[in-house]
Amino acid sequence: MFGFLKKVGDYTRDAVGAANYMTQGLAVTFDHLRRRPVTVQYPYEKLIPSERYRGRIHYEFDKCIACEVCVRVCPINLPVVDWVMNKATKKKELRNYSIDFGVCIFCGNCVEYCPTNCLSMTEEYELAAFDRHSLNYDNIALGRLPTSVTSDPAVFALRELAYLPKGEMDPHGVPDTAPRVGRLPEQVLETLPKTEPAAAAATSKEKA
Amino acid sequence: MLSTTAPGTTPGLDAAAGLDLQASFETALQGLGLSAGAAHLLWLPLPMVLVLVAAVVGVLVNVWLERKISAAVQQRIGPEYAGALGVLQPIADGMKLVFKEDIIPARADGLLFTLGPVLVLIPVILSWLVVPFGQHLLISNVGVGIFLWISLSSIQPIGLLMSGYASNNKYSLLGGLRAAAQSISYEIPLALAVLAVVMMSNSLSTVDIVDQQTGAGILSWNIWRQPVGFVIFWICALAECERLPFDLPEAEEELVAGYQTEYSGMKFALFYLGSYINLVLSALLVSVLYLGGWGFPLPVEWLAGWLGQPVDAPVVQVITASVGIVMTVLKAYLLVFLAILLRWTTPRVRIDQLLDLGWKFLLPIALVNLLVTAGLKLAFPAFFGG
Repeated sequence: MFGFLKKVGDYTRDAVGAANYMTQGLAVTFDHLRRRPVTVQYPYEKLIPSERYRGRIHYEFDKCIACEVCVRVCPINLPVVDWVMNKATKKKELRNYSIDFGVCIFCGNCVEYCPTNCLSMTEEYELAAFDRHSLNYDNIALGRLPTSVTSDPAVFALRELAYLPKGEMDPHGVPDTAPRVGRLPEQVLETLPKTEPAAAAATSKEKA
Repeated sequence: MLSTTAPGTTPGLDAAAGLDLQASFETALQGLGLSAGAAHLLWLPLPMVLVLVAAVVGVLVNVWLERKISAAVQQRIGPEYAGALGVLQPIADGMKLVFKEDIIPARADGLLFTLGPVLVLIPVILSWLVVPFGQHLLISNVGVGIFLWISLSSIQPIGLLMSGYASNNKYSLLGGLRAAAQSISYEIPLALAVLAVVMMSNSLSTVDIVDQQTGAGILSWNIWRQPVGFVIFWICALAECERLPFDLPEAEEELVAGYQTEYSGMKFALFYLGSYINLVLSALLVSVLYLGGWGFPLPVEWLAGWLGQPVDAPVVQVITASVGIVMTVLKAYLLVFLAILLRWTTPRVRIDQLLDLGWKFLLPIALVNLLVTAGLKLAFPAFFGG
């Protein structure tokens, strides 16, 4: 008899507990109903890529010395460097350079190791194409600069979460002038003690 | 829309029974020189078409609400380009399904494959026969009303099982079996919960069930006398509609789309339509059984009395009928809102948990609820329907 009553009690407690949890869950979802959407309405709004964003690679033909370091550091030897040896001047003559972005994994090794800095990363990420061969960029296509999100008049540029002022979660409606959370590298520099080598040398001379 | 207007009363303005459109329509036609039979024949298709249109529009609204509320819960915007605020999105979805190629897989059983979705949709639409929007605003006040709905809804699992089996696909078969198991398990506590309400109102007719709740406005609604029954009924209705947290038959993470896996085009649209019509229907029936149906929170007779209007005045009758329709739809859509919110609140249960809940929890509780209701009816016949 008591066993049965205990069972009924446990049953009831379980049911009340379940109802309690359900109410808590419903309160959470209900609370979300009144919050503003946080989604970025691409393509009308776009996030500003961060400084270290690894997008489509930019290439300057005139700086390149055809050393092929980019090919050697590439995980799949992707860049194609088309050069011939000029017997008269005993110098490499670069004719074409291409990277296939349908294959590239945007690891940035080529950019890292390029001795003349003729390779660099851009913010461009819209690389959709109807034909994958059109993603094979030659040196002309590689030399084009992408449209910046901030200068495109058709796009509302939104800051990413880490670039928003402290406490802001939603980039919509945050003014452009509002400073980002934390200190910028320049501001960190200002707080450091001034130990310029020239100044230090001067003070030591005066002492001597 | 009964043809039981008592002789001697003005047709269409029966004070006690409220607005009777059928009687007014038929007398108007007879005034134009038609015979009584012809007038009745002209009347017959009207409510059917009207309710069919209402059901489909209800589904469109439901789909739009589902998408918008889901978006809001997840801090998205949801559809916004098809019409103002995306109201035309369900129509766009529907048109897409209409124009899609209708594929019957090569190894599937063509006849059963086609028959399945039809068998799922037809009983759901037929159940709208008994949904009242007012004293006379229903297609047919069948004496067995709510029982008709319960029996019709048990045809559905046959269709689901049929389509799951005919697809010749393991996911479809599993989904179909789950759907059948779920529907059959949850029909029993559902029927028991309904039985308690039926016991209190001494009738299976939906109109009588609402009439029994109209005494004192919101206070006389069944939800106060049957709170446990209300919860059981709502849980079972969600399970019957295969709504989250009970959407195991379609569980996309495990079963692709369950019995719908092989379906596309119009056949898929029938499933889609069926599940949403079923949700609206269940919400309507919850409002009929537990939330006073077309009743306003304050009795309209009192309001009319305070405003010094006779209850049987034509204007008051029309206003009462309109308020009734609005109240029914409003209550139903509040419940739909709750269902959508629950969808994003609760995770899906496992199949064993589902059957545990149905057989070991809801069934005994529904039985106890029924017995307690019977006891209370004997003890306090004034409050629990003598």
